[in-house]
This record gives sequence, structure tokens and C-alpha cells, in this order.
Amino acid sequence: MLQNKTFLLLLFSALFFLNCKEDKGIPVKLPPTQNPTTQKVSNTIAYAEGFSISTVSDFKVLKINNPWPNAEKTYRYVLISKEEAAKRSFMKGEYDGIIITPVKRIVVTSTTHIPALELLNEEETLIGFPGTDYVSSEKTRQRIDNGSVRELGKNEGLNTEVLLSLNPDVVIGFGVDGTSKSLNTINKARIPVIYNGDWVEKSPLAKAEWIKFFGALYNKTTQADSIFKTIETDYKAAQKLAQTVSKRPTVISGAMHKDVWYLPNGTSTEAQFLKDANVDYLYADTEGTGSLALSFETVFEKAKSADLWLSPSYYPTMDALKQANTHYTQFDAFKNNAIYTFSNTTGKTGGVLYYEIGLARPDLVLKDIIKICHPELLPEYTPYFFKPLK
Amino acid sequence: MKNKYSYSFLILTIILLVLFCVNISLGSISIPLKTIVSSFFTATDSLSNQEYIIQNYRLPKAITAVLVGSGLGISGLLMQTLFRNPLAGPFVLGITSGASLGVALVILGSSIFGGFLATFLLTKWSLVIAASLGSFLVLLLVLIVSSKVRDTMAILIIGLMFGSITSAIVSVLSYFSSAEQLQQYIFWGFGSLGDLDWSELQIFALLYSLGIGFSILSIKGLNTLLLGENYAKSLGLNIKQSRLLIIIATSLLAGTITAFAGPIAFIGLAIPHVTRQVFNTSNHKTLLPAVFLFGAIIMLICDSIAQLPNSDYLLPINAITSLIGAPVVIWLLVRQRKMAF
Repeated sequence: MLQNKTFLLLLFSALFFLNCKEDKGIPVKLPPTQNPTTQKVSNTIAYAEGFSISTVSDFKVLKINNPWPNAEKTYRYVLISKEEAAKRSFMKGEYDGIIITPVKRIVVTSTTHIPALELLNEEETLIGFPGTDYVSSEKTRQRIDNGSVRELGKNEGLNTEVLLSLNPDVVIGFGVDGTSKSLNTINKARIPVIYNGDWVEKSPLAKAEWIKFFGALYNKTTQADSIFKTIETDYKAAQKLAQTVSKRPTVISGAMHKDVWYLPNGTSTEAQFLKDANVDYLYADTEGTGSLALSFETVFEKAKSADLWLSPSYYPTMDALKQANTHYTQFDAFKNNAIYTFSNTTGKTGGVLYYEIGLARPDLVLKDIIKICHPELLPEYTPYFFKPLK
Repeated sequence: MKNKYSYSFLILTIILLVLFCVNISLGSISIPLKTIVSSFFTATDSLSNQEYIIQNYRLPKAITAVLVGSGLGISGLLMQTLFRNPLAGPFVLGITSGASLGVALVILGSSIFGGFLATFLLTKWSLVIAASLGSFLVLLLVLIVSSKVRDTMAILIIGLMFGSITSAIVSVLSYFSSAEQLQQYIFWGFGSLGDLDWSELQIFALLYSLGIGFSILSIKGLNTLLLGENYAKSLGLNIKQSRLLIIIATSLLAGTITAFAGPIAFIGLAIPHVTRQVFNTSNHKTLLPAVFLFGAIIMLICDSIAQLPNSDYLLPINAITSLIGAPVVIWLLVRQRKMAF
């Protein structure tokens, strides 16, 4: 039972990568980022702390510093062209993997990796994914439906045989603590595994900047830089716009599991979005690594009269919320129908779009929140992820 | 017999009442005594935040603690006497496992079964019904087995085996479940006393009272069983009937409590031992009410600690019951140097 619980907890920790299965297909068209070639680009990494790319003579070195919280080791990978690789050799153990670029066949393990491939026009290189039902992006969805992308089982128990038979150039994994047995097996079979640590980053822009990591794999550094620049510019413009208002609505988030209320702490990415949207998040002054787990009493006293309630866990309707706990009905946000959720905005096979695209497109998330909190600022804008709870 | 223990009962009852009041007055936020008293006399629709917390959160929680502690204690006592085994408790016989399986099927199985179950999932009643059905089905199984197997030890082992099967099924279900579903199941497993509103509490209390009623009816059988099954038979006791009565009482109590408050560890096993050490008797006429009082008192203490008074945080009640309960039993055993059983 204990083993079982540990397993459950690990999976639970991966919450941000997974999503719930509901058979509601809501087609969402995202605005494209501007044509990359017209953008002036810079080659530096401005926000992300988890990776760096440096050039050493005829190859690049990709360093992953923080693939999971408190990781002790830095992982170093060589990114080298086929021709150059034929010319030289590396000392055994000098690097954690040699990756021939541009990558032609890739396996990624989190839906958050999919938008990067699509933005770089490299979705054709994706040959396998664990839990394909979670993928909602239309382009990749189509490739899954026509059988071009193999199902690899569950992330924590990847179907190693199928993965090995696919023989990808690289597997982009993610680890809660780096103990994934299946990824270790794959690494031993000389298929390089890179742990992607985008989810460990602290700010929305840092998470989005991981597109440069994918850019390096495809020799599309300039294009990746340009895409990120556009997202950054849009994000900052929205943030600046939000600062122009003086009335800041009070906001509460999360919901109770049994009698403990889980909500994002003040240093989380979610709180960062709320800060940038210029709202008064009631727990903005808290700190921590995980979610805040507060007693009902505390939250009730502080947040009963909050103007807005964002992301009430996975509850799909007001009625479901009420049935789960009658205390919810006492909150002003409940009485005034001022609850917004992203969990009803799903793709054809039930994947929640926010989990898939939100990380790559923080500009859209921020605008969604600004639209909800200061509707007068973006009169023409329609939110992509957040919808009122009905 | 009654006179000998009447002072002890009086003292325990006073302690229980005091702790009940203390439990209501302690919580994450400090509420002045005046507000606590006034909240009992204010109409429901004109409550202040603090009054709402007292009336609709702390009071039902304290009552739940009393019901859970006493109910689990009594079902543990019944099991220990029935199986003549100091390690028996509601977890044995697979009653709690059955409830867990029911809950797992609803929470984790909804993605497999889909449709109706998926929409049914988010209501609290679904869990209660599933857990009760789960423990009831195990009870039926045990009854069938006990009619074929005469040895109570064999029934005990069959109960444990059922627990193993249950966790295996839960593992398979969890493998195919989404993160949200796993999360919900894990939180159910932490146990919780503060999750019931008044209407739920009413139904809980009704089922609990039925269980207590059956327990009282089985007192005579329990006392005779202590002498051994063969001796009990020679005294003219209908062993089968007594066993049935005891198993129904236990299932009702443990099943209902697990359904409403989650699997609460340790109380069922420990409370009867603590009571026997203090009261030093094996007469169930004394033990049953004493276990009731001790169970309620210890659960109130555990809940007050889990609340971490004046802090924003809550600890899982399941962890506290073991952390507080186990050392108490060890201390009592070391002091007495032997187990009163």
C-alpha cells in the first residue's frame, strides 16, 4: 500500500503535465506568433535558469542545470552535426549524451513539449508520445489519428520495447526526481534522454523560453529566439496595460480536498501571472515550493468576500462545486457567479488546453486573466483558456 | 460492578465534555468566547464569518470526532473479543479494505467505466454509498465464509487476504487513472473529520446509532465468547447468532465511519487496549461504555492537535491518530508489563 501511495504521489506531482479526461471538444484557435524572420533576435537566455547553450569549436554544449527541484547534477549534452560527429570522438563519460542535430526523430513525454515542436514547424519529427489522448493541438492530433505518432503508454511506465523499436534520435523526458526506470533503460540502450526542466522554472516567461532549448535541437536557434521575443513582447505589453488601472479586484484560487484548501503560493507562476495582471491575489505575500495547504477556516475568513475566484480545482460546474462542499456557496464569488476555470477548455480527446499550451504561451494566459479582472482593458479579446464556471 | 467504576465514568464524561468545548474553541483562527456562545443563538442566515465557522464547521467536526473515535473503538473491541486476538480491529476482516475498494472504483474507475459514473463522481454521496456498499459486500463474503469455516483464525486470515486483493485492484485502477482522480483518492485516504455538513452528519449519526444498538445487543455474547467457543456453547450460547450480531455491528460502525471520514488508522486497534489497561476488566458491560468515552476523548485530542491551533495549516488526522496513539499504548504496556486481554 505504501509503495502504491508513493507511486500515486509521484504521479500527482506531475499534475501540471497531465490533465483530466472529459469528452468535450472545444476547438480553440490560437493566434500565431508573428513571422519569425522579420524579428530582430538576440542569442542569450534571459529568464530561464534551467538550461544554457554554449558553442565549443564545431559543436554546441547543452547544459541542463535543474531538471527537477534540488537536482544535484548538471547534465551536459553535445549537439553536433552528422558530418562533424564523424570527424571526432569524445571521452567516455565526458558528456551525458551526444545528439546529432538537426534531430529527425524525436519522442517527447509531456504535452507541454508539443507547442514548441509546432511553433518551430517540427511536429513531423514527433514519432512517439506517452498518453496521446492528452494531446489537443490540431496538427499533432491529426498525426496521432493517422498513426504517425506511436502511443507509448504512461509516462511513469513507458513502454520501453515500443520506444526502443522506434529508435528516436533523442527522448525528451521530465522527471520529478530523476528516478524514472524506463528512461534509464532507454539511456542505457544508447538513445540519449534529455530531462526537460521547464516546469521547475519560476516565472511564466522563463518557462516559455524553453522553446530555445528545442530550437537548439533542430538548429533553429534564430527562429526560436524570434518566437520567444514575440511572446515576451506581447506579455510585457499586456503587463504594462494592466498596470494602467487603479482598481485591483481581490482574487482567490484553488479549492478544498476534504477540509484542506490548496492554492498557489505567492512565489508560484500562477501568482506571478496574477501580479502581472495587476490584481490583489489574497495570498500574494506567501512563499514556498509546493501549493499552500490551508485550513478551511483561514481561507473562509480571508477570502469569503473576494471579488473573483480563479481555477477552482477540476470542478466542471457550479453545481459540482456546491455538491462537493456546501461551504463553497458562502463565498461572494460563488454567489456572484464570478468563478473562472480553464479545466473545461479541452481538446477533441479531452486534454486540457491550458496544461498543453499555457506554458508555451504565457502572453495568452496573462491576457485571459486581464480580460477577466479588468474587462475594460481588452474589449475585443476573447479568452482562450479561462471560461466562466456555469 | 457499577459502583466500582461509576467515579471513573463520571470523570471520563466530564473530561469528554470539557474536551468537546476545547475542541470547538480551538482552530486556525482565534474566535473570542463571546462569539462562540453567540453563534449558537444566531439565526443561520445572519451569521458572521466567525459564527458560520463555529456553527457549520467546528461543531459538526467535533461531533464527527466523537462518533468516529467511539465507533472505531467499539468495533475494535468487538473484533478483538470475537477473534480472541489483540491485533484485531476494523481493518481486519477487510471491512475497511472493502470500503476503500468501493471508493477506488468510483473515483479511479470512472475513466474506465465513463458515462454515468463520471458525472456521479463529484458528489460526496457517491463516495459514501460506494464505501458502504464495499464494506457491506465484504461483510456478506465474511458471513458466507464463516458459515463454512468454523475457525475464527481462518476468517481473520481470509479478511487479511481480502485486504491484499483490494490493494492490488486499487493499483491496477490507479495505473489507468488521471492525476486528478489519483489526487482525489489520495486525499480520501488521508482521512478527514471536517468534511461533513449537517445533513450528512444526520445520516452518519443514524447509521452509527444502529451500529451502537447492535453492539449493545451483543454484550452478553461477547462476555461468553471470552470463555472460549466450546465453553460458550456448553453454556447454551448460539455461537453462530452471536458471531453474526457482532460482525453486523462492526461492519455498520467501521463501514459507515470509513465511508464518511475516510480510513482512520489506529483508533480501532488501540482504544480497547488503553481502556482495558485503565479499567482492568474484561466485562463488556463496563468495557463498551468505557471504550466509547476513551475513543471519543482521544479522537477529540487528536483532532485538536491536527488543527494546529492558531496556525493556517492542518495535519492529516490519520497521521495524528497513529503518532499520538501508538506511544500511549507502548507506555501503558511498559508500565503494566503485560497486556490485559
